[in-house]
Amino acid sequence: MIDLQGYGPRLLEGALVTVEVALLSLLLALILGLLTASAKLSRHWLFHRIATLYTTLIRGVPDLVLMMLLFFGGQIGVNMFTDWLYYQFDVDIFININEFIAGVVTIGFIFGAYMGETFRGAFLAVENGQIEAGRAYGMSSRLIFRRIQFPQMMRHALPGLGNNWMVLLKTTALVSVIGLSDMVRIAAEATKATHEPFLFMIPVAIIYLLIASVSEWIVARLQKHYNVGFGEADEWNN
Amino acid sequence: MADTPIPLEVRDITKRFGDTEVLKGLSLKAHKGDVITLIGASGSGKSTFLRCMNLLEQPNEGELIVHGENIAFKTTRHGREPVDWKQVERIRAKLSMVFQSFNLWAHMTLLENVIEAPIHVLGKSKRDAIEHARQLLDRVGLLDHADYYPAQMSGGQQQRGAIARALAMDPEVMLFDEPTSALDPELVGDVLKVMRDLAEEGRTMIVVTHEMSFARDVSSQVIYLHQGMVEEVGPPKEVLDNPQSDRLKQFLAPKH
Repeated sequence: MIDLQGYGPRLLEGALVTVEVALLSLLLALILGLLTASAKLSRHWLFHRIATLYTTLIRGVPDLVLMMLLFFGGQIGVNMFTDWLYYQFDVDIFININEFIAGVVTIGFIFGAYMGETFRGAFLAVENGQIEAGRAYGMSSRLIFRRIQFPQMMRHALPGLGNNWMVLLKTTALVSVIGLSDMVRIAAEATKATHEPFLFMIPVAIIYLLIASVSEWIVARLQKHYNVGFGEADEWNN
Repeated sequence: MADTPIPLEVRDITKRFGDTEVLKGLSLKAHKGDVITLIGASGSGKSTFLRCMNLLEQPNEGELIVHGENIAFKTTRHGREPVDWKQVERIRAKLSMVFQSFNLWAHMTLLENVIEAPIHVLGKSKRDAIEHARQLLDRVGLLDHADYYPAQMSGGQQQRGAIARALAMDPEVMLFDEPTSALDPELVGDVLKVMRDLAEEGRTMIVVTHEMSFARDVSSQVIYLHQGMVEEVGPPKEVLDNPQSDRLKQFLAPKH
């Protein structure tokens, strides 16, 4: 175990927090992204309006500002609500917005907008005849989505999703601002105490790079999976 | 046979795209074993007519009766729509369509294409579906291509595969939308041969086509459409060999 003046284990704990925040945000972002894309592609004007508002808002405001707004603004909102409960009903509770959840929700929310654009483009790239064949064979919309649209869309979406994921991973560094002990915050604290920035920031950079490399490998595997049937004809001619 | 409902009946279908009326009241009755060919110049509405039969296009007016079941429509803000999409799905499963551009699902092997709807729409077991699919692929001469992806096959092979996919549904009626128009000339023959065999074994088929020899040899009825209306209809001997209207005579005349 690398000791790093006694900070080694804490830095690893921080790395775990980083990975957790990143993966949970990714999950939320993918769900929001699929919903946004469906809303934007739907015939219903209200869904369309809401999704457009969401993506415009998110893409136009810096991530850090959004995070602070959600974390501090969220806390103020919750406090107002609990105060109101106290005065109205004499209920005395205190709810503290947890940094971890705030971080995951904010990052998931931000990247949901980007994922939404990626998914939307990918859905549009699926040839209409593929969907029409599903309809002509009596498949329901849900079945067509699951069996035809989704797997074919993923081929087009994966490069963009992989890109978004890399940016998302690096954006998790922002959660240190709201006080979550991810590896960046721990490295910053250690630097302050020891005055040795390189000793801590270089390992942090290496850990980010490691996560990024593993991700790239996974994305490449997925790409291969979703490319089945679409490769160059020569590849198969054996 | 009086109590057997006829496979497909269409009454007074009209269809507008915007202000353009492309179908002006078309009717058709397909009895069991009928092979009805729809011919006409491009823009005559023959493909649109076919696509109204399985509701890939929503007709503005008219009735559709599949195997005795009348499809219910309602009028909404967006126009006329079927009342119950589940009913539409059930009916589509009885009318398999073969497309001009094949539309085999590109991310699935040929075998997977053929078993997809039987398993997920008809609820067949995977084992039965595969067994049936292999028989059908053998029939269209593609058993050795079962594990190929569509992109690995020629157009003619893809279209024969698409016919196997259609047959796997045990359809009441097969709808063919210009099945040979996207094929290289030397590949047309194999596909037409498969279709002739189907006609011979008594399949009910409605075929939009430019292949006049196929229409002449195989069909029980030929419908010549012009600008969304039926100009001539009858057995091929009458319509193709003894056309009445000048337009049809011109349409059938050798082009060179």
